[in-house]
Amino acid sequence: MRSLTAFRMVVHDRSSTAGALLGVVAIVFLVGQQLSILFGLLNYMSVLVDHSGADAWIMSANVRNADAGNLISGRYVDRAMGLAEVKWAEPILIGSGLLKTSDGSFESVRVVGVRRPRLAGGPWDFAKADERALLDFEAVTVDRLDLDKLGNPVLGQVTEIGDRRVRVGAISEGARGFQGTLVFASLEKVKEIVRTPSGRYSAILIRFQPDVDKETALNNLRAVMPEQTVYATDELSRLTQRYYFTNTGIGGSFGFSTTIAVLIGIIIISLTMYASVLSRAQDFAVMRAIGGRRRDIAVVVFSEVLIIAGIGVFVGFLMLATLLNATHGSAIPSYFPKYVPPILAGVALAVSLLGSLIALRVALKAEPASVFH
Amino acid sequence: MPFLKLENIARDFSDGRQIRRVLFPTNLEFEPGALTVLSGPSGSGKTTLLSIMGLVLRPSEGSLYLEGRDVTTLSDNEAAKLRLQKYGYVFQQPMLIEGLSVMENIALAFAVQGAHLPDHFRDKTEGLLKSLGLEETSHMQPRLLSGGMKQRASIARALIKDPAILLCDEPTSALDAESGQAVMAILKRIALEEGRIVVVVSHDARVFPYADRLLKIENGTIVANTHERYVEAKEVQ
Repeated sequence: MRSLTAFRMVVHDRSSTAGALLGVVAIVFLVGQQLSILFGLLNYMSVLVDHSGADAWIMSANVRNADAGNLISGRYVDRAMGLAEVKWAEPILIGSGLLKTSDGSFESVRVVGVRRPRLAGGPWDFAKADERALLDFEAVTVDRLDLDKLGNPVLGQVTEIGDRRVRVGAISEGARGFQGTLVFASLEKVKEIVRTPSGRYSAILIRFQPDVDKETALNNLRAVMPEQTVYATDELSRLTQRYYFTNTGIGGSFGFSTTIAVLIGIIIISLTMYASVLSRAQDFAVMRAIGGRRRDIAVVVFSEVLIIAGIGVFVGFLMLATLLNATHGSAIPSYFPKYVPPILAGVALAVSLLGSLIALRVALKAEPASVFH
Repeated sequence: MPFLKLENIARDFSDGRQIRRVLFPTNLEFEPGALTVLSGPSGSGKTTLLSIMGLVLRPSEGSLYLEGRDVTTLSDNEAAKLRLQKYGYVFQQPMLIEGLSVMENIALAFAVQGAHLPDHFRDKTEGLLKSLGLEETSHMQPRLLSGGMKQRASIARALIKDPAILLCDEPTSALDAESGQAVMAILKRIALEEGRIVVVVSHDARVFPYADRLLKIENGTIVANTHERYVEAKEVQ
């Protein structure tokens, strides 16, 4: 009956319900879209690592992120292959170059060289053609989202990167890096473009044999190349994301805007719930007089808040889903890990309850004796 | 042993600077089956007395006994439980909760502590509403009822729990003469036929004829305690 009373009050007090609802929706939608962009950017930061298909990465010593390793010797490929746990080891070369666009201007790109024929560390999804294009020495891939920026090159179009002739062999999908446009090519072509010394690579990707203990295999790798850094792929991904998050101001910026969104939500919820409870003060006094305890009043107030918060979370997620669907596949980074919605819903509920505490205080002050005045 | 007994009950109020006594030591006893009218001028202490009898206000002095048990210093929760079990209240304004239908307002009085409604609740409520002349109103919102109908609905809310004590604070003051007479007739019937303690606070002389007992209070002191029946029961039916 207390929950029904709360529900009836929520339905009856439309203006205050709408206000509190706005607060919850603001929290869910504003924080949600901030988080989706943040996770989208985090994905960009570690995109090469996450989609490498490797179990481990060998990089130079004291690496702070996947994009800032010194070149390492190719002999570590052979040394890694000497371990029984290693199924394959493939070098990867990452550098920068200027791509000549269709109108003759230049665009800075990150070139990623992968070794044929395995093409480990190469593009993973395609809008046009596929990875076999990179078996061609001159072929490069460009991403669908960068086509406009690169002058809308078409398949087979010949252009230049770093004064070296390349041909657009495939259009990748979702291969966007935090540091800019990603262009994949064969290892030999990238060597030409970035002019690295022979036998030097940015990293060596390792895939372990199936059924081996990865931790043991990682330790064995570290033991045979103590002068290099060996990371598990997920470890390097986290390291890279954390590096950019804390060193580029993104963390602070998103933290600030998220905090503001939560605060705005709390203020809206607090004010509207306060006004709502204030207008119901006499009703709460009546409930106390006819036998309600303080805890019964609290149940009604919290039920009101939970009903509003539940509806607000639903509406907020609906709006968020609409936004994410609308921006899916666009240049706006957006990604929502599966574990985030329950946490966001929980936070919205907690914030709503927090916002209702002042209102609850007013409700609990309702004196049963006041009904006799 | 009287059902409800006030022993030297007094009440002080403080405005922060000085303490003012609004109810001087009062001794009263109440037995079921009678309608008591408590009258007096504004500020005489009648609402304070009613509030103390109704366990919504604690006395500054004295003791309150309910069925022989001292209930003067009960905890908040214990007092709420007793109010739920033993008391029904009719306020000056009906104070029905907007948004809840008449039936739900009545149900709330029954289940304000979260108890499940009994199976016969709906039938009992319909019967009660019918006896109060409120047929077909159970699903209506309070705002759709007239003042008299609202007050009768509030009486239904007070009676749904079969309370031993029914306390009414100026129940007719917001009603026209006809509605007021009807409400008093109902309260009278409840007292006599259902054997309850009914206490009505009023300074409206038109309710006096319904009293089995008339208490007069002035300046916080009971100045008259008349046990005469003002009118025969048949005359008010």
